[in-house]
Amino acid sequence: MVGSDRLSEVMTTIAKPLKYQFKAMNSPCEVQFDCNDAALAGELGRLAEAEAARIETKYSRYKEDSLLSRVNRSNGRPVPVDTEMMALLTYADNCYRLSEGLFDITSGVLRRIWRFDGSNKVPEDHEIAALLPLIGWDRVVLGPDNITLAPGMEIDFGGLGKEYAVDRVLMMLAAKTDVRILVNFGGDLRVSGPRNDGSPWRISIESVEENRKTEGMIAISSGALTTSGDARRFLLRDGVRYGHILNPLTGRPVMGAPRSVTIAAPTCLEAGIMSTLAMAKGRDAEEFLRDEKLAAWVLR
Amino acid sequence: MQLSNRNKGRIGATLCLVTANLFSTTGLVQAQEVQNAFDEPATNGPGNIIMDGAVMYYRENNSRIQAIEPMASYTDYADNGDIFSIKLTADSLSGASPFGATPWIAPQNFLSPTSVTISGDDGSTGASGGVVVTDPVTQMKILQTTAKANELPLNPGFQDTRGAANLSYTKALASRTRVTFNLNGSIERDYQSYSGGASIAQDFNNKTTTISVGVNYQHDLSKRLYGTPTPFAVMTGVFTDGTKSENIVSATAGITQVITRNWLVQLNYSYERATGYQNNPYKVISVLDPVTGAPQRYLYEARPDKRTRNAVYIGSKLAVGSFVTNLSARYYHDSWGINSITANASEHIPIGTRGYIEPGVRYYHQSSADFFNYFLLSNAALPQFASADNRLDKFNAITASIKGGYMLNDQIELYAMADYYSQTKAGTKGLLPGNNGSLNLFAGVKAISVMTGVKYRF
Repeated sequence: MVGSDRLSEVMTTIAKPLKYQFKAMNSPCEVQFDCNDAALAGELGRLAEAEAARIETKYSRYKEDSLLSRVNRSNGRPVPVDTEMMALLTYADNCYRLSEGLFDITSGVLRRIWRFDGSNKVPEDHEIAALLPLIGWDRVVLGPDNITLAPGMEIDFGGLGKEYAVDRVLMMLAAKTDVRILVNFGGDLRVSGPRNDGSPWRISIESVEENRKTEGMIAISSGALTTSGDARRFLLRDGVRYGHILNPLTGRPVMGAPRSVTIAAPTCLEAGIMSTLAMAKGRDAEEFLRDEKLAAWVLR
Repeated sequence: MQLSNRNKGRIGATLCLVTANLFSTTGLVQAQEVQNAFDEPATNGPGNIIMDGAVMYYRENNSRIQAIEPMASYTDYADNGDIFSIKLTADSLSGASPFGATPWIAPQNFLSPTSVTISGDDGSTGASGGVVVTDPVTQMKILQTTAKANELPLNPGFQDTRGAANLSYTKALASRTRVTFNLNGSIERDYQSYSGGASIAQDFNNKTTTISVGVNYQHDLSKRLYGTPTPFAVMTGVFTDGTKSENIVSATAGITQVITRNWLVQLNYSYERATGYQNNPYKVISVLDPVTGAPQRYLYEARPDKRTRNAVYIGSKLAVGSFVTNLSARYYHDSWGINSITANASEHIPIGTRGYIEPGVRYYHQSSADFFNYFLLSNAALPQFASADNRLDKFNAITASIKGGYMLNDQIELYAMADYYSQTKAGTKGLLPGNNGSLNLFAGVKAISVMTGVKYRF
């Protein structure tokens, strides 16, 4: 066994992939390598861990000195950003327009009043009305190399960051090796191709039911898979269940949203954005997915 | 929440494009050390426009042809996978070229037509270094040129300018299918060529296999100055025939296979059928006395009016880090009896992070055409076809080349190439009848060419 104690190897008669595991972005992360070369897996696993850490350090709203937090503290002044962040902000802008406002990285401030802890504490109308002026990507000014937020506004890459990290890590590692790999950060995952023997990777979908562990297996040979939805986060009041997906345009939860949507797409970012959009469609999630001709699994 | 009809069903497709843009903007180049600026083919990816300008200089040995050729091209790689490209080339040739007559121990006179006014420095008439005589019967002006003793006769004072344009458009029909159309035209004083073609390429197996098929049609017009000679007519300087044309239809099929991430191979087959005028209207064949070898007269060459060609090509490109080894071979056979084989090898060597150098070598061997002969004998019946054009002879050729490039910055690439080409006789050396075995009949060439250019990407 070489080096890191994070590298685990399961010796069975059927070859199992080597796994490199670590924690990042508040999630359990792992990279699986379909090979026997523990040294290579360790080296590439460390690269993956470093890249995930780099993205977290730069874009996490939980880190005070991240570039993102600096933007959130700017109080109306323009903040210069580098090529990568500008590209991500441009991407967020594209998603905002494509989704006609349903995907909006300025909507995070709603978490101040919506706490989905299973209780019945639903915010009052006036509390929601007070926050709405602080939400709206169309209020953000994006310069050629800087961003200006109105005072009180905040941005966060919650709907983008993990997916971007998965895509970047997968692409970086795939450029360095022909070994088949699977990158999975907290359930958002992507593979570089089928396993060595041509068979797909097998992923189980976590059940939303209390008494079931899994809803089944998905076989994936290429591309990415993401799941939106969290059955544990909701509010219940007067017999009405409020799911945790909020509509940035109204400041209120989307009614009739599925409990979970899993989407397969070529990249993790595309899968992630589409699963967020599908959830935001509420009762129309299935119709949206059909119109877009996506490979998707919806649990209600 | 209703989705407006404008975007219905199309969000995924647009999202795919913007996601690709995000990755290309935040390219992996940032995350890891750049090994060499020429490693990644990203320079020709979608979203780029490439402008290229170059000039080439070509020179043959022994005061034969020299040429200068400027070129400019513009290629747009659109975001949706379409590619549009236009290329303009001009060349200016001057010098002298063998025209099929054999050398002799005494000076030889040759007659060819000319215009009424001629001066030694008039580049545009293309005739200089001769004497104008008047035919006593027809009163037409004829140019008489003299080849020196013991030297391969070359046609004198040749100069020509040519312009050519190529247009190409590739449309991505689907993510795995591309169709390409191309149009070409080339014009010089005494020759024009026009062609158009289309091909389709389809990817399979996760884009590791590409199969392509294409067809092409070409129409050539030969408008020899002062008229076209009748085949086997005596070289008198008096002509009657006018413009001649030729049609060429061709088809190709190929397969490209990615074997590993670093290794690509390609196999192609091509077929071509030409019908129409295929003679070179400036070339003659000497008719010699069978005992002494003395020239009796010169006849204009005669070639068949049909030619079918077949060729098979195989190539391999193997990358090891930033080094790329290119190997290829081609086998060719045509209905005139010419079989040839070409073998090519080159190595792309990175220099630092911004440059590369690529030495290469090519070997070529061809058999002669069935009707090729250095000369005809005056006591023999005329064959059906005959040509002494050295390009139809049996010969070997070696090319040694070196190419290099340097990325001045992310947008500008400087490049240069130089090569040395040398033809040598293969098989039995041609011999004049009589005692003049020392005269060399092989008219093969040695030439150097150098080119330099700039590519600008934006």
